[in-house]
Amino acid sequence: MPDEIVLKTTINGESARLLVPANRSLLDMLREDLGLTGSKHGCDVGDCGACTVLLDGQPRLSCITLAAEADGRAVRTIEGMAEGGLLHPIQEALHRHVGAQCGYCTPGIVMALAPLVDDPDQAVDDETLREVLGANICRCTGYTRILSAAREVLAGGDRQRGRAAGAREPSDGGTA
Amino acid sequence: MLPLPSFSLLAPDRLDDVLAPLGQPGVRLLAGGTDLLPSMKHRLFKPATLLSLSRVPELARIEPTEDGGLRIGAMATLLGVRQDARVRAGWPALASACATVATRTIQAMGTLGGNVMLDTRCLYYNQPAGWRASIGGCLKAEGSVCHVAPRGTGCYAAQSSDTVPSLMLYEAELELLSRRGSRRLALSELFSADGRDGPRIERDELLRAVILPPPGAVVLHRKVRPRGAIDYGMLLVAVRRQGDGGSAVISALGPAPVSVRVEQLGDLAQAAWKASNPLSTHSWSSTWRKHMVRIEVARAVAELTTPRLAIAHG
Repeated sequence: MPDEIVLKTTINGESARLLVPANRSLLDMLREDLGLTGSKHGCDVGDCGACTVLLDGQPRLSCITLAAEADGRAVRTIEGMAEGGLLHPIQEALHRHVGAQCGYCTPGIVMALAPLVDDPDQAVDDETLREVLGANICRCTGYTRILSAAREVLAGGDRQRGRAAGAREPSDGGTA
Repeated sequence: MLPLPSFSLLAPDRLDDVLAPLGQPGVRLLAGGTDLLPSMKHRLFKPATLLSLSRVPELARIEPTEDGGLRIGAMATLLGVRQDARVRAGWPALASACATVATRTIQAMGTLGGNVMLDTRCLYYNQPAGWRASIGGCLKAEGSVCHVAPRGTGCYAAQSSDTVPSLMLYEAELELLSRRGSRRLALSELFSADGRDGPRIERDELLRAVILPPPGAVVLHRKVRPRGAIDYGMLLVAVRRQGDGGSAVISALGPAPVSVRVEQLGDLAQAAWKASNPLSTHSWSSTWRKHMVRIEVARAVAELTTPRLAIAHG
């Protein structure tokens, strides 16, 4: 019975073939084997959300997902969110609203919110938004600025990246 | 960083290839992994082989039964069950119970089968290995003394599945499959009196599906937990109205859920309180948790009998 697994997966759009131990978590594969250290170790048991990545477009806690689960599936991490030099709209909004302090939870929060933003048909009410964020522990911000960033992007109707000139520039410090 | 212990992994895509190794020594099933993998990181389980069910699509199907009920594949995710229009219409307490599990991300990973088969939980058991070692180990994991009841011989780790209380009141059955064949087991027969003993099915049996009888039962589910997300319940209550009387299932207080039935619905809260004997398996006081049994059952009864109160209790 195999102690090592051969994976064929796609990571941030690039196909990869990897040999990993069977007990490798997806998070450790990303961080240790591939050097993608944007996804974070927090609690390491699925409580805090700092390790959230997208597996076939859906948020997954990579610390309690086996690397083997990525076989035949597409993984997206925080490193793959910017495209063509432009941040993802939720990254831009978090930047404008100063929705990060120490920043440790921020990659996980971006990965949890991005699917809501990327699905233009999905209406997201405030209750759902709060519930989604309930999966990601932030001990700095008190969530107020994260929520205002998410609300702005989701209510804007314009969920395209680079939506405003100078969108990557910080605003006057956020007014939330 | 909490590394996983070493194991071999099998991830077959055919049901037959799941059943073949099932029951062999050291083989353990992996469903969503949201409880098993943290527990393995805490060295509560060290299986030689993990047998993943995630590549068998037929196990995730939700489909109507011939009699108007619903057959929910064991690998259907909790989020999928919660969002299923048929579940929401016919068995709404199950949908609302799924919505109370941990977080939405966990619900998208965790499965109904995994939730039903959830390992019993305790303050002294669900801890990192070093934490347990510092108190001489826990009876269920590796020790010789139970820190909940040091003079006793039993384990009191609590059945803590969020979906079990409402599923029991909907009179759900489990479809079990092995190489020897298929059988049905009433969910209420699944639980052991001792927290170490695990679900009462054979080692070579797979929980294939949860079967719900046709809709009609009026059930309500309530969960008490420290925070509004992430946490397991320190008290789980489901209540069903049956004519003038009703039933309650109380869980998260001991190894098996407790069922009570009364002829007059007004007596249900007191009966549930009498039948509940929580021990200190949770960091919150067992006296308070017992006190809350009466309050939570009374609230559920009030919601069932006075629909307007449902708004008041949110």
